Amino acid sequence: MLSAMESNEVTDRAAAEAELSSLRADRTALAERVLVPWWYDALLSLLVFGLLSSYSARSNWVTLPAVAVFLLGLSGMKVLYRRLTGVWVNGFRKGATRRAIHVWLAAYGVLLGAAAVAEYLLDLRGAMVVGGAVIAVVLYAVNRWWTRIYVAELREGL
Amino acid sequence: MTAVAPRFDAVIHPPPRLQVCGLLAAVDTMDFAAVRDTVGVSDSVLSKHVKQLEEAGYVRVRKATRASRLRTSLALTAEGRAAFDAHVAELRRITGG
Repeated sequence: MLSAMESNEVTDRAAAEAELSSLRADRTALAERVLVPWWYDALLSLLVFGLLSSYSARSNWVTLPAVAVFLLGLSGMKVLYRRLTGVWVNGFRKGATRRAIHVWLAAYGVLLGAAAVAEYLLDLRGAMVVGGAVIAVVLYAVNRWWTRIYVAELREGL
Repeated sequence: MTAVAPRFDAVIHPPPRLQVCGLLAAVDTMDFAAVRDTVGVSDSVLSKHVKQLEEAGYVRVRKATRASRLRTSLALTAEGRAAFDAHVAELRRITGG
């Protein structure tokens, strides 16, 4: 027969296991919640494409409104994300998702640099449109990847 | 990675509060309604528990009007995050995990 102390330890352990299981179940539910539809990431990419391609016009009359639309759009995307998921998560958060951020920053730097050199130094008109399109596609892929990593992290539990 | 010292926290321990902290620890902010739906309690029950967490300095409550609707969002403070991590470490210690 178990002593009183042993019995308490077993009860405590069972309760602690139940609490950890409950926390894991909530994280799994959260993982379902943060999955945004594909068109959300596509919209974000479209915004970036619009901004970058506006530089090919080489006119402040085009670029400045494009910057304004981009900033307003970003703000709207944040509201939309919260409406779709009920949460807000910083993309630059600590954790495994940093891998996706590092890849994004490296790809963005290289692609933007190449497009800017082609557009402004080599005078290839439209290079920023092409560069913007490539960057938008990369952003879409990285966003989907970031979400997959985050969801996997949530599903792995605590 | 720095190991978290296990510490039982009586404020976090009751199941609804533990669940709220568990959800908030995984995000930056979460809408009150989303927390309520995930935890599966009524508005009044959640409000009561959130108030206790807020008084302990573990949760920050923000109210904002969006699209003419008042929306309440919750976030874990740095203190709340540390207390939650220590409490989970204590649960793990108890289970031997």
